[in-house]
Amino acid sequence: MSTATLSQTETITAPGARRRRPHLPGQKPFGPLRVAAFAVLALLAIGWLLPFLWAIATAFKTETDAASGDPSWIGATGPTVEAFAAILSQGNVYTWAFNSLWTSAAVTLITLAISALAAYAFSRLNFTGRKWLFVVVIASIIVPPQVLIIPLFYQMLTFNMIDTYWGLILPQVVVPAMVFILKKFFDAIPIELEDAARVDGASRFRIFWSIVLPLSRPILASVAIFVFIGAWNNFLWPFLVINDTTLMTLPVGLQTVISAYGVQYAQVMAQAVLAALPLIIVFIIFQKQIVKGVATSGFGGQ
Amino acid sequence: MTPPLDLSRRQFLTASSLAAGAALLAGCAPGQVSASDTQTLQFWHLLSGGDGVTMSSLLDGVNGAQDAYRIRPTVLAWGTPYYTKLAMAGAGGRAPDVAIMHATRVNGWAPGGLLDDWDLDRLADLGVDKSTFPAPIWEKGFVGDRLFSVALDAHPFVMMFNTDVCDAAGVLDTDGRLRETTSPEEFLDQLRTVGGAASGHALSYGYLGDGAQMWRLFYGLYAQHGLAMELPLGGKAVIDKDAAVESLTFMQTLLDGEIAAAQNDYGSAIAEFATGKSGMLFTGVWELRTMQNAGIPFDAAMFPTLYGTPAVYADSHSFVLPHQTNADETKRELTYQFVADLLKGSIGWAEAGHIPAYLPVTESPEYADLIPQAHYAEAAEHVVYDPTAWFTGSGSSFQEDFGAAVQGVLLSGDDPAAAIDRFEARANTMLAQPNPADPEGTWKP
Amino acid sequence: MTTSTTGSVAASGAATRTIVTGSASGIRLRRPGSRNREQLVSWAFLAPFLVAFALFLIWPIVHGIYLSFTDQSLTGAGGGFVGFANYGEALTDPVMWQSMWNTVWFTLLSTVPLVVIALLMAALVDRGLPGQWLWRLSFFMPYLLASTVISQIWVWIFNPQIGAANNILKAFGLEPLAWLQNPDTNMLSIVIATVWWTVGFNFLLYLAAMQNIPSQQYEAASLDGAGPWRQFWSITLPQLGPATVLILILQILASLKLFDQAYQMLGGVASDTTRSIVQYIYEAGFVNYRFGYSAAISYVFFALIVIIGVAQALVSRRRKEL
Repeated sequence: MSTATLSQTETITAPGARRRRPHLPGQKPFGPLRVAAFAVLALLAIGWLLPFLWAIATAFKTETDAASGDPSWIGATGPTVEAFAAILSQGNVYTWAFNSLWTSAAVTLITLAISALAAYAFSRLNFTGRKWLFVVVIASIIVPPQVLIIPLFYQMLTFNMIDTYWGLILPQVVVPAMVFILKKFFDAIPIELEDAARVDGASRFRIFWSIVLPLSRPILASVAIFVFIGAWNNFLWPFLVINDTTLMTLPVGLQTVISAYGVQYAQVMAQAVLAALPLIIVFIIFQKQIVKGVATSGFGGQ
Repeated sequence: MTPPLDLSRRQFLTASSLAAGAALLAGCAPGQVSASDTQTLQFWHLLSGGDGVTMSSLLDGVNGAQDAYRIRPTVLAWGTPYYTKLAMAGAGGRAPDVAIMHATRVNGWAPGGLLDDWDLDRLADLGVDKSTFPAPIWEKGFVGDRLFSVALDAHPFVMMFNTDVCDAAGVLDTDGRLRETTSPEEFLDQLRTVGGAASGHALSYGYLGDGAQMWRLFYGLYAQHGLAMELPLGGKAVIDKDAAVESLTFMQTLLDGEIAAAQNDYGSAIAEFATGKSGMLFTGVWELRTMQNAGIPFDAAMFPTLYGTPAVYADSHSFVLPHQTNADETKRELTYQFVADLLKGSIGWAEAGHIPAYLPVTESPEYADLIPQAHYAEAAEHVVYDPTAWFTGSGSSFQEDFGAAVQGVLLSGDDPAAAIDRFEARANTMLAQPNPADPEGTWKP
Repeated sequence: MTTSTTGSVAASGAATRTIVTGSASGIRLRRPGSRNREQLVSWAFLAPFLVAFALFLIWPIVHGIYLSFTDQSLTGAGGGFVGFANYGEALTDPVMWQSMWNTVWFTLLSTVPLVVIALLMAALVDRGLPGQWLWRLSFFMPYLLASTVISQIWVWIFNPQIGAANNILKAFGLEPLAWLQNPDTNMLSIVIATVWWTVGFNFLLYLAAMQNIPSQQYEAASLDGAGPWRQFWSITLPQLGPATVLILILQILASLKLFDQAYQMLGGVASDTTRSIVQYIYEAGFVNYRFGYSAAISYVFFALIVIIGVAQALVSRRRKEL
């Protein structure tokens, strides 16, 4: 099982693989190598946390302290929330956060719905062209979205959808990789469960809704989380399609709109910290699913 | 064989309550104040720093003085990103009601249909016409017969100097003005003398990573040779190599680490002068406010004429009407009124250092009283704009290309002649291309 | 028609089509005349996805190819046919090649640390040392931040006058660097930020692969007297082959699509050494208004991606056969 071959989406976690390796027989729990390993690990972790901690520290300084180049963690004037207050009183951050929330949720729901439906069709239903259509969908996974920005933008221009929510949302709902992942999952659900219902005369949709979907909650949750994160953090397309500052998502607003007062380092950091918070909270709540999703399916790899 | 339910109830509840909380918070955001009939006009500009503060207070003044409209400004980062966003908004048909553009950029844009032109009669009714602007500034707003931009100001590249440091260095004359220098060697000597009295460098000049800054100084020096770079579409760039190399070499001499710091970017040069460490600063007039707020004793003067012909680099901030597919007539009307109001009140803009384009303001007694503005007001007569071409102008890739070609000369001592050749090659490449806003030349001016 | 509840069901996954009669058989149950209905149902299930797929993926690909043969402008002007002029220009455009090279260089520079550091992190965490949640949080949390956020954090750290990076250099008596402004160091700075940002993903993949390795192997080796280093080299590393291949594939493909942080950390103005190919596509189309030309560059880039993707698929398949 540990030599399982891999494609982009095959599982690499064997059932029953332990999460935590106890110290091995013959190895002292506090042996020098273990202590050294711990020290290196701690150093790495601190190193990895530092940039973000530094951003937070800067956000709690006064503007003068931040601009002074003082390397200490707390500014000479002491910690303050004035940078946060300034950012929050401008009102932009709320608008952008709301836009991000609403559009990411819409992308997630729509993607989930259409991908699950399509995946079910590929998994269970027979129709002409099934095979080659599936091949086309899989092949399209390799298409980098960056290649399509010109024709997509042109399309949105033509339909007068520049600077609209739907112009932002719709191109993001096409995620062939999710169709593939969901199909694989559906394939693994024993057909007997559905057959029983079919024999009782249930329609396909009924079966899909009442049997298959409830059994698929874990994968649906994973797909939902990753699509949501991807949509929330998406920069390129929202950056192109939205010019109206009241419609911008958080990442785009942060990058595009600047203060009339020039570079205000503490405020920039405060804004960045605020923007980071939603997904950090998502991570803390959904840690298990996220870690599992990445590990098992290479989710979020692109 | 049922897979365990991974999403626990606790997780679901936590997530939904947070989402609800966020939605609630969004509702608490300061919304738009809307009196029943006040129209909100979206106004985009790229002014920040000292200028941003001044513009904000001008807008507050305009907003406070009447009820018919309320300006909602958005500030975007100066340079290429601003123009790209504005173009995309114009192409999308949902652009802001009014925006600021540099006068030198309008020429490249107009053929693309991204701008609507100004109605001369409507402007005249509001007291804005040819007679109220200096001729070259008014003319610059035209493409063919149509007026596409109305200038708010002219903002030249100037020299600011710390009066205490320069006084100690003995380079001031009896009325406190900087002694005139008329050749590069004289100027370098003056700088070295100032350097002796300054606690830091003699001169602050920020250029690192900033093509616009490099171009501003360069082109002023080049134009002082009595030359103007020509960029005829479909032809070859006309550049006097000797003058160009001479100007660039002079810049290189300045950045020897003694006269000026070898690698300053824009922000640190400003900071160096504003904290009183250096004797002089090369910058645009737009930093006047910053220096006044810094509280140092300083004055300003037109950039010294080192090569014979008085010339200074300048551009203008101008109002444009981004194209809208369904222009709201009421808002258009109010936009005209806004522009007229702002022009008439632009004495505040003069206080920020710019030379207002609106003559009734510059010819007023209040303006004559403004120091140090009055000390460089003569620059308005000697301004040179970027050579006219679709790819030139402030914040254009032309200025960035210049920076890319010559930064090595200033930062690492590369060969100036080779850099000018590189720059010329790039200009020729651009000239060989049609204006991409109108590749088939279908637009009629 | 009589139906009956399934008695025994064939265990294979073969899609046999049988019409249910008195007794259950076969996997797929059919009612007479339901073929057509199944077609209809299938299309009903597929329609939403297919419509979106056709509208927002297929049509843009096709239309993009068309655009690449015109001189279409962002402004709406242009649009006339220019034959292969755009492709000719793209293939002889020094900026295009430079951008391609910058992207490849970025991929090379970033892939090594992203694999090695992730491996190191996973190896350490796999030891089972206390504080598991803390390690996971520290290493993976940056991955969840938006590109804008990390760019702003690192622009602040790399500020030439007052940034933390130069503070550290000065503390060691070294010369401060113009990290993002100097063409010699700006790509490196972007790589540093990127490694910080994305190593957590590879870390999780490696960790999962390591946790897949049964403890018995380590125990057996330990009994034979092998120390922890030996165990790592002989047991852990060899079995990470598939994970490494996966990580490399994902890594390389993702790196080639570089745009966000390179654009953001330079404030939207590319240096000749940081302009990625996607940024050039963006600039050609949106800054310079040349939709047609930009589309041509896009497809040159797309061809490269397909070639690399196919090559990696072949390598993967060869590995499976070995």
